[in-house]
Amino acid sequence: MTADRHRDIKLDSWSVVSLLSLVVLPLVTTNPIVNSLAYQVAIGISAAMAIYIMLRLGLLSFMVPAFMAVGGYAGAILAKAGATNLLLLMLVAFIVPALAAIPLGALVLRLKGIYFIFVTFLFNEMLQLILFETPSLTGGSNGISAVPPASFLGWSLDTPKALVLVTGLVCLIASVTTLMVTQYFRAEFTSIEENETLTESLGVAVWKYRTIGFVASSGVAGLAGFALVNMLSTAHPSSFASWSVNSYIAYAFVGGRGTMLGMVVGSLLLIAMTNEFAAYAQLSVGLYGILLLVVMMALPGGIVGTCIDYFENFKARSAGNLKPATNER
Amino acid sequence: MESVISAGVIGLSLGTQYALISIGFTLIFGIMGVVNFAHGGFYILGGYFAFTLTHTFGLPFSVALILAALATGAVGCLIEIVFVEKYVADHLATMLITLAIYQIMITGITLLYGAEPVQFRFPVKGSFHGSGFYIPYASMIVSGVCAVAIIAVYYLVYKTRYGIALRAMADDGQVARAQGIAPVMMFPLAFGIATALAGLTGALVTPILALEPTGGEAVLGKAFIIVILGGLGSITGAMISAFVVGLIEAYTSVYLGGSRGALALLALVVLILLVRPQGILGTVARRA
Repeated sequence: MTADRHRDIKLDSWSVVSLLSLVVLPLVTTNPIVNSLAYQVAIGISAAMAIYIMLRLGLLSFMVPAFMAVGGYAGAILAKAGATNLLLLMLVAFIVPALAAIPLGALVLRLKGIYFIFVTFLFNEMLQLILFETPSLTGGSNGISAVPPASFLGWSLDTPKALVLVTGLVCLIASVTTLMVTQYFRAEFTSIEENETLTESLGVAVWKYRTIGFVASSGVAGLAGFALVNMLSTAHPSSFASWSVNSYIAYAFVGGRGTMLGMVVGSLLLIAMTNEFAAYAQLSVGLYGILLLVVMMALPGGIVGTCIDYFENFKARSAGNLKPATNER
Repeated sequence: MESVISAGVIGLSLGTQYALISIGFTLIFGIMGVVNFAHGGFYILGGYFAFTLTHTFGLPFSVALILAALATGAVGCLIEIVFVEKYVADHLATMLITLAIYQIMITGITLLYGAEPVQFRFPVKGSFHGSGFYIPYASMIVSGVCAVAIIAVYYLVYKTRYGIALRAMADDGQVARAQGIAPVMMFPLAFGIATALAGLTGALVTPILALEPTGGEAVLGKAFIIVILGGLGSITGAMISAFVVGLIEAYTSVYLGGSRGALALLALVVLILLVRPQGILGTVARRA
């Protein structure tokens, strides 16, 4: 195991451990502002993790809101039918989009680069229209309102504190899933990201690992969708608008696309910033834009990636062996 | 029968508008390899430039149209030089940079003009009545101007030395550079021309549809559909597919209804893409 791999596992594991705070937070404070921030960050991180899994394969997926909708609506329909068990809802919110991703993956994973981005963007648009065209199942433009909150061992998790707790828990599970998938298949994912043709020529079944990543990413997005629907008690098409993916992409790239810690830092920073400037809601999109622009131009590795590069350089300097900054994280 | 003719006329009118907006988008990708996520923003910017010039400065619509296109092109050129030029080789970076620019643009427009649509009306009213169909004069003027602009772009790209240099850059940047073609001149001008086309379309079309800060999102979505259908980077492909999309949209909205029609169109595009990722023309103009 290389030093880089050790460091990345450590960073990713610590980022997951740090997310325990999202679960603990509602238990130690009743401050509505803190709790509101906690649930927004939890949902943002979960969605960013779905982006991260695909980035590990060198693909930027715009389908995250679509899979969030599939998971969210699946949970809402089940809860409306009376099955409110938290574990069952989480399982369904993960499995339904993951299963949907298998045939979809067979179609879209043949594409790469810009074509993959375009097709996944179009699938988002299609799903929005499907939601509007299937009112008997999804409530159409009205969505599904008054979704019962999840319950566990007979307790209804309907208090504001419990709702935030569930959202934090979902985020933790989504992040652990991401950690397991990206670390277990790290060698294959990295090879595919670095040089797909060479990887394939070495006998690695690229399609298999791409499908695994796509299915895992879809399931994680589904969990994020479920967390959102459970928190708002409503599954509405506007919650999963195609352009919402821009925010999740911004979280990933501002934080640093190369590590899970980047997803956590990016989500936390941008969501906290949006809340800070809540009084100037019209400005928040522009502020995202400015931050994304600055990061892409000045810190192409994102905040975490740049910090890692500086730290590595500092270590190398201290050891009298200067390594050039790679800016690839 | 009357509705068939009517839908056909609407489809052709939509096709000319879509062609103009998509040619700019595909021009930028074909020459620079940049997916311009801000293209919808330039469309809206053109609309607001024209609105300001006509409503605040009282200029005639025709003059405002030309000035709006030039101003949008100048903004595009400047943005290319300051933000895009350095990162042209990186698809992902330029995509995210232009996405960020789009976000900044719509926020700036919202701060200046508000989030609600502004009252911007096309100066010519009335319509031409044929046997069983009618065409608003506004649509005829828009289609006419779009057609002239498309011909001008074709002339520029295929008949001038600048166009030859642009195509040489698109075909093989390294060889083109070795021949003395300087990308430092080519790219900003190409970006400026493409954004001017978006601005011109915005100035022309928003008085008929609506002028609001977020109006560019739907336009970008449409441009996506058209350019991937026609083949990324192919100007002729974009033009053909713009008319195909315009006609499909018109007929499906008449016979299937708005959102079902849009769904049918998206499904068709995805199917075509999955079978022929290089688009209907069948040539990969530039590697994605």
